Amino acid sequence: MFRLRPSLFLTPYLLGALLLIALPAGISIYIAFTRYNGIAAPVVVGWENFQLLRLDPLARVALTNSLIFVTQSVPLRVIGALGLALFFNQPRRGTGFYRAAVTLPTVIPEAAYALAWTWILNPLYGPFNAILRGLGFAPPAWFADSDSAMLGLVIASLFPLGEGFIILLAGLRHIPREIYDAARVDGANRFQILASITLPLLAPWLALFAIRDVVMSFQNTFTLAFITTRGGPYYATFFPTQLIYEFAFSRMDFGAASAVMLLVFLVTSALVLLVYFLFADDPFDEA
Amino acid sequence: MKPRLSTLIRHLLALTIAATFLLPLAWTLAASLRPAGLPPPRGFEFLHWPPSFENYSRIFEILPFARYAFNSLLVALAGVLLTLLTASWAGFGMSLLGRRAQIRLLILSIFLQMIPFTALWLSRFLFFARLGLTNSYYAMLAPALMGTSPLFILLFYWTFRRIDRAVFESASLDGANLFQTWMRIALPLARPALMAVGLLAFLFYWNDFISPLLYLRSQTLYTLPVGMLQLQEMDRTNWPLLMAAAVLVTAPAVIVFAALQHSVLWWESE
Repeated sequence: MFRLRPSLFLTPYLLGALLLIALPAGISIYIAFTRYNGIAAPVVVGWENFQLLRLDPLARVALTNSLIFVTQSVPLRVIGALGLALFFNQPRRGTGFYRAAVTLPTVIPEAAYALAWTWILNPLYGPFNAILRGLGFAPPAWFADSDSAMLGLVIASLFPLGEGFIILLAGLRHIPREIYDAARVDGANRFQILASITLPLLAPWLALFAIRDVVMSFQNTFTLAFITTRGGPYYATFFPTQLIYEFAFSRMDFGAASAVMLLVFLVTSALVLLVYFLFADDPFDEA
Repeated sequence: MKPRLSTLIRHLLALTIAATFLLPLAWTLAASLRPAGLPPPRGFEFLHWPPSFENYSRIFEILPFARYAFNSLLVALAGVLLTLLTASWAGFGMSLLGRRAQIRLLILSIFLQMIPFTALWLSRFLFFARLGLTNSYYAMLAPALMGTSPLFILLFYWTFRRIDRAVFESASLDGANLFQTWMRIALPLARPALMAVGLLAFLFYWNDFISPLLYLRSQTLYTLPVGMLQLQEMDRTNWPLLMAAAVLVTAPAVIVFAALQHSVLWWESE
């Protein structure tokens, strides 16, 4: 009976996706092949922006930094979220409070969170180094030192993992209770249940979070680095998103900025397609 | 005796974990209460005694933070209301489609959900600049047109899909059109989804730092996160003042989270 009209309710969503995602993606593909300063009309220059980018040492640094951050932060965040979800899965006394406490850092506005870490990891007066010195260590200078700035960002990135925590809690709820009961009847112990039931059945959710986390790290590193280090010292925490910002708003070179953005977008899309191929049969249809 | 010992250990571990995750905010709060003008602590000091609240009033004297707070609230409320409207519409429409169309939209939504804003921010900026919509809240609020995040649409979709279609159909037999069915029957049954999406949308707009940084040029339009950046640029080493600003920006997010966290952390477990 409601044959056609449900689509009416979907119009804002689909129109918005077209205007805010498809159209900007199209624009960036075009601008990436032009020379454009935002004022004069864009001039098509073919692959020039990409060729210049290939020779740009800053682009290489940004890419390397991004890879370093992802390979350090994402595995730790996935393991952390998994451990927390497993630990706080069963409703017991206090679980409500514990879950809220674990999720709290995720709720803090990114900019305020980053600012807080400039104090926590302040080399001279910050509480973290005060504790380390008290314990007899010689603490690093964190954001003031190009050798330890990246580690500082990785540490700060380990607390806001509420999203993964919630995704994995949802995944755990989807494992039918009967499977556990059957395993227990067969005499399986806790570790056997974890290794042969929980983890395999949770694998798609883990992969979803891991890939989303890689993708989101492009975004999450921007605010964190923008507030704490501005990409420094000596470009030690300079990421592709800052390269885009730098090209676009400092040098007014929208062509080069779009070229970087297009590359980020392509890497992102490839990762997202990977999710699609992994879960095309099982697209998280239940919740 | 044995089960009680393991319970004790579990609780101790849980408390340690909770304390660890509360620590960044606790340190920020403690640092914000240090009296202005005092030299920074030598050695470890969690909280200077007696604490002082003067940093909080100082912020409002240095910068128009009251104005920024009002702007932030305006953007967040508009964002939440629009999002609840568009996301519940889309979720409702999706739940009434045929099975195959539902699956297709589901896959599209998961795909869209995975694209980070930073992969598109510049061309969005150029698009809004061409339309003359930068330096206004239109560009900041634009995501609300599409329900802010595909995840929010899916939360409504999953909720509405579980309602028996016969309920909607009997409403239409009683002469209700689809819009009335959405408002009088579907929405009242979607309270958990409304709360969860309301919370997540509030956090999205309240916490938003990148879009005001990109779009807003006039100081009178600034929201709190950009105001905080301004303060940081004025004095990078006045930690008590900066931490007080961070606490001010964070507090509303924490309060809304505390009020509505159950809807997200215990989604569908009751």
